[in-house]
Amino acid sequence: MRSRNGNSYFSRTVQVTLLLLYSFALQADEYLISYRYLVKDTILYNETLQISKAMQKCSGSPYEYLILETRDDKNLKEIITQNNQEFIEYLHKLGLNVVHNSKTSNYQYSETTILTLKTSCFKVDFNDNSVKISALK
Amino acid sequence: MKYSLVLVALLSALSLSAAQQSASTTIGTNNEIAVNDMQSSDQACQCNDIQNVTDKSEPVLKKNNTMLISVVGQGVAPMNTASPAQAYALAKRAAVADAYRLIAEKVKGVRIDGQDLIKNMMVKRSTVRTSVSAMVRNANVVETTFKEGLCEVEMEIVISHAQFK
Repeated sequence: MRSRNGNSYFSRTVQVTLLLLYSFALQADEYLISYRYLVKDTILYNETLQISKAMQKCSGSPYEYLILETRDDKNLKEIITQNNQEFIEYLHKLGLNVVHNSKTSNYQYSETTILTLKTSCFKVDFNDNSVKISALK
Repeated sequence: MKYSLVLVALLSALSLSAAQQSASTTIGTNNEIAVNDMQSSDQACQCNDIQNVTDKSEPVLKKNNTMLISVVGQGVAPMNTASPAQAYALAKRAAVADAYRLIAEKVKGVRIDGQDLIKNMMVKRSTVRTSVSAMVRNANVVETTFKEGLCEVEMEIVISHAQFK
């Protein structure tokens, strides 16, 4: 039995094909990222960047994004390692918690500053030649 | 002959004592002048400071206004770095952290705790602790310089009144 538009089979095929193509071209994932480093007496210690795939779906909408160029690479850790400087600057732009403590005892001064990005969820879109990392709010 | 020798000895002794007296008076007057100069310069400095405090009013963030805060953070590279590039990167990171701390201090303020331990009428230990805790976002690095192991990062942030509602 033919439908009213006369060619429903063809239109459905086109829709399914487009959906498949779109899903192959774009692969969106969510990652949990945390960043922390410590500066003691103006010297850097313990810089740590933790990246792991989210096991649960994150809530929130993307608000600030970073696009990194890749060569068909789907490993976010490697991509970030290759573009470490840009990614750290992006994290600084997002905002970091600053905790600073200084102590002067008998006229001897020492200080410690800790910058932290608490574990946050990021949406990552892998494209052919780039990856789009968006912070979720 | 004998009298002449005695006369010469007396004259030389008198001239020596007179020279010593004149030298001591000149030293004394110089010291006094120096001290007076220092006192007068101190007083002048204090007066200038007071005038500066009264003249320079702290900028206040008014309603519907924005304010630009600029700081310079400093960082030092550790001794055991693999390369100059690594030293630069680490020093820059430390300088950025210092700049963030300065922004937090300016915007949010500093908590200061002091403690003196006095035992047998003597100060045994004097401790001053400061702490800052804040969240800083949208700060921009304007300029970075690296000279003789010291990295300086100039950082700016624009704050608006609406952010503090």
